[in-house]
Amino acid sequence: MSSSLSKIPPGVQYIFDTEVRVRRWVERQVMDVFDGWSYSEIILPIFDYADLFALGMGKIQAEMTYRFTGRDGKLLALRPEMTSLVARTVATRFRESHRPIRLSYSGEVFRWDEPRPARQHEFHQIGLEHVGSDRLEADTEVLIIAIEALRRVGIEGFMITLGHVGFIQGIAEKLELDAAARSQMYGIIDRKETEEFDEFLRPHADEKTREAFCRLTTLSGKKEILTEAKSLIGNERSIAALDDLGRVYGIAEAIGIDEHIDIDLGDVGGLDYYTGLTFKIYAEGLGTALGSGGRYDNLLSQFGLSEPAVGFSLWLDWLAQLSAARVAPTLPGSNNNVSTLGANGDLASVFKEATRLRATGTRVEVV
Amino acid sequence: MSGITIALAKGRLQDSSLALFQHSGISLPDGVLDSRRLLVEDNSNQYNFIFVKPGDVPTYVEYGVADAGICGRDVLMESAADVHEPLDLRFGYCRLVLAGRPESAERGYNPLVAARVATKYPRITADYFQRHGVPVELIVLSGSVELAAVLGLAHHIVDLVETGRTLRDNGLVVIDTIAESTARLIVNRASYHLKRMAVMGLIKLLRDGLQTAGQPEVIQSQASPASDRIQQ
Repeated sequence: MSSSLSKIPPGVQYIFDTEVRVRRWVERQVMDVFDGWSYSEIILPIFDYADLFALGMGKIQAEMTYRFTGRDGKLLALRPEMTSLVARTVATRFRESHRPIRLSYSGEVFRWDEPRPARQHEFHQIGLEHVGSDRLEADTEVLIIAIEALRRVGIEGFMITLGHVGFIQGIAEKLELDAAARSQMYGIIDRKETEEFDEFLRPHADEKTREAFCRLTTLSGKKEILTEAKSLIGNERSIAALDDLGRVYGIAEAIGIDEHIDIDLGDVGGLDYYTGLTFKIYAEGLGTALGSGGRYDNLLSQFGLSEPAVGFSLWLDWLAQLSAARVAPTLPGSNNNVSTLGANGDLASVFKEATRLRATGTRVEVV
Repeated sequence: MSGITIALAKGRLQDSSLALFQHSGISLPDGVLDSRRLLVEDNSNQYNFIFVKPGDVPTYVEYGVADAGICGRDVLMESAADVHEPLDLRFGYCRLVLAGRPESAERGYNPLVAARVATKYPRITADYFQRHGVPVELIVLSGSVELAAVLGLAHHIVDLVETGRTLRDNGLVVIDTIAESTARLIVNRASYHLKRMAVMGLIKLLRDGLQTAGQPEVIQSQASPASDRIQQ
């Protein structure tokens, strides 16, 4: 074979055999959980106008799309995420529908990325969006659904870290930072560089405040850290964020899922996108998050409808990888439970028998 | 295997890293460093150490094969690994510099012509020249980078400088300091949450260890020469 035929473009994958069966099983389980919470599935186009994604996820993120020109000369992009497509649909087609709207999706997304650990250019996202409610019920609901989905596919030892955009923004407002300084600060907090953060704060705050902020942005753990955080912070925005976190955590405790939830006050991921509660999902055996979500109350206004929304997505690739060892043996394989029929002699009777067996649900293989 | 796994950089930072652990109450069984084992457990059975090439430490940690690691900030910047960096360990100080022959320093680089630069740090070098709006032609080498400037393979080099002696001995001068580097404790993002207690414990131990050790030289002078045998 010539090398151009055997060469596979970086970032794409061919999946077959057991891996396919595991992935399809996991996908069905998760979508079934979403359906159980009255989320209805929406099937979205593989590509759309590039501008749509720039509007939805921001210009810089949209740089990562695979783009091409349509026959009409317009710039198109393979979908890098699903939420922009859902948001546009809600803001147009579902404008008059009853609220809240609950939608779920499952499909491949495409992102050009520098070669990085375990990052494909094509990967499968399963997620949901809850549109039209700015209340904690909605935030709590999606969190509980995420946990049910993980449990359903048998992932154990997972941890969801809860954060709140308002907490860090309250600090940034208090320090009266401009946009560039904010983004520098978010980077430092994201890497948890305590010494650098202290250095960064030096021109903006006295020693006591610096010490408090350094402590606050590395605080993570159970409910008690909220009490400590409250004793260290004075601005209203941050306090309101802590109250939100406390209420959601309280519900999680009441229904007994708090062992899977930690609060992480230093979570600054997606600050330009999310507007309230955020969460990331980690599981034993994986060095990176297998899902994430949060509240994004500003996105729909980009599409002409100012409405609150919250949602999350899971990476099917990671879910399948973590479930494979446990799930694969329980799934019907390609070679077991098969009735083999020889295709010699009278073909009509061979296929008649095969059809009869199929009608009883038996797996057949004509050899 | 129990507890958490820590990736240590072989070579320049290894002795100081082990000395800091020793000072912080985490010690390795006698003689274990003399063996060729790449995976060793400490005396308390709480920490597993793996010894890898410095440039590989961020990779092991980013993938989560190691929960934590120690490597220089230079290596970390070059790898652009997505990890937490909770502690500056202060030892292993060096500078990442732009250097060249003295006449090139006087002339500076002609901003209209691509600077030809030899380095082991292509990402950092490209970023640096991009910030200055100068087109750059990178020559990626894996060692003895100074030679490239001496022999005229490149106009400039970007390399790590501890004392500056190698540069001086080869008739080169520092034109600009791009970054300063010290050893960092890095932690995998998932481990930070999944093994929170153990990770927090490690950070605290090392932070306390650093405080009582005082100056970084103390750690460096306590470094045991026995571990020289674990080399690349």
